[in-house]
Amino acid sequence: MSRKIKEKIGLAVVNLFFIVLCFGVLIPVLYAFSVSLNADNSLLSSDFSFLPKKMTLNNYKAVFFEEPILLWFKNSMVMAVVALGISLGTGIPAAYAFSRRDFPGKKAILKMLILLYAFPSLLSMTALYKLLSPLGLINTKIGLIIVYTGTMAVFALWNMKGYFDTIPKEIEEAAMIDGATTTQLVSRIVLPLAKPTIAVTAMMILIYVWNEYIFAINFMTGSDTYTLAAGLYSLQATEMSGSWPVFAAASIVVSIPILIVFFALQKNMTTGLTSGGVKA
Amino acid sequence: MKKGKNTLFAYAWSAPSLFLILMIVIFPILYTAYISMTNMNVYHWNNYEFIGLENYKDALLVLDNGFITALFFTVLWTIVNMVLQVAIAFLLATLLNIRKLKLRNVYKTLLIFPWAMPGYVSILLWKTGMFNSQFGLLNQWLQKVGFEPVRWLNSNGMAFICCTVVNLWLALPFMITIIDGALQSIDKSYYESAMLDGATWLERTRYITLPMIKPIIAPSVIITTFTTFKQFDIIYLLTQQVGAKTGAEIHTILTYAYEKAFITNNYGYSSAVSIIIFIMLIVFSSVSNAEPKKRGNN
Repeated sequence: MSRKIKEKIGLAVVNLFFIVLCFGVLIPVLYAFSVSLNADNSLLSSDFSFLPKKMTLNNYKAVFFEEPILLWFKNSMVMAVVALGISLGTGIPAAYAFSRRDFPGKKAILKMLILLYAFPSLLSMTALYKLLSPLGLINTKIGLIIVYTGTMAVFALWNMKGYFDTIPKEIEEAAMIDGATTTQLVSRIVLPLAKPTIAVTAMMILIYVWNEYIFAINFMTGSDTYTLAAGLYSLQATEMSGSWPVFAAASIVVSIPILIVFFALQKNMTTGLTSGGVKA
Repeated sequence: MKKGKNTLFAYAWSAPSLFLILMIVIFPILYTAYISMTNMNVYHWNNYEFIGLENYKDALLVLDNGFITALFFTVLWTIVNMVLQVAIAFLLATLLNIRKLKLRNVYKTLLIFPWAMPGYVSILLWKTGMFNSQFGLLNQWLQKVGFEPVRWLNSNGMAFICCTVVNLWLALPFMITIIDGALQSIDKSYYESAMLDGATWLERTRYITLPMIKPIIAPSVIITTFTTFKQFDIIYLLTQQVGAKTGAEIHTILTYAYEKAFITNNYGYSSAVSIIIFIMLIVFSSVSNAEPKKRGNN
């Protein structure tokens, strides 16, 4: 009997610990959320609470009407979609060829891809700037798209190749015997089977472009060409204290799509990424 | 005949992707290597000269230039963060796996929340929301209980601790998920027979749990070690944004390379640092790739 009670107390302690921990972990986000909704600008007063006494949506209004956030959103989406199209369009056939065929140089190229994946693109920023600027591509969407596509092409090829390897070859062999051409094979059999990895790869590319700020702030000079990440960065960099509630609201707005995508794809995220052996 | 066709097919299908990678990734790296042997900087943007290995000498042999310090800091940063991360994640995952914990999945969902947030947004929220010396939450709390406000990011030691906290906050969810998955894959019957033999929790952890999860979590730990070593966002966004430097002078090798290129505009030198970092990454990744194979052979 006493053992049972001991166990119960232990369990209660663990539960309490996790409740406190979960709340503690969420504090930075909860705080931003509460500041963004707070009507009286009581940032400096000491009686702050997580539930603001007077609520307002003015900060959110300011985000949408006073800041060019919709323009930044459009810029981000255009770049993400183009980068996505190019990296998947070139990556899927390449990943398939690397997974299914043997050819001279394959092993060497795969090894090189691992090394390239380890290389942070940040380190070749000077070279990229120096190469893109005589072509007139600095401060243009095309310039940034080129940078993003290259970075993501390595990831796309490697990640999808890893997943293709796990699809059994027998299904394709059976279809081959029935006389299917390679293009039919890929479009009717391999692609449907590879949907999870394509979805995860696509999401990772979108998220990368959505979150990339350092190339964007260095390669883009005018705020009308900013991406969302660069825009948000500039929001917090200028006139800090005054715009903190607006910045908090903008942060929430920018995070929500990513949060939705993450929790929708959570299962695929862990398996789809760890099986490919790479993490963004 | 078939083989030749196969090869041709493979090349044709991978050519567009490989061409992109060659032009956008490999060529700039080679170009970086070239710039690293010139004196390119803000005064010599176009009329730079070839100076051989001067920049490499400056980075590796002249201590005052700060690269060696940054390297030392980065190694320290990586060790501290990885030890804390694995230890804390292991403890939390173990607690999450207590048999009668009914709310396990609720806790898990809440705990992985930081992973779901866009990383740079979280870092900026930490900087303005928590660490800001005027209206940051930490100082509000300190003042409430009668302490002086602290300038969290202004001194090296404090900034290191703050950056570590943020890094743990960002990285623990992934590690917890991985270790939690590994723990669940262990066959429960091992524990049952160990319990019958009277093994304590520590003994079970040491002789069953750790050896069983080690091979499962090893790849993720290695990958995370690389990410930690290559950390840029946390240090940069918290302490050294342009025009908002906080006074702390801590540098990982990546923020160091960035500062030399885009703040002090010493492109040649920065490129040399980049190439040194790349070579280190190549060495590390070949070592970490070779090791599991060795173990497999034994």
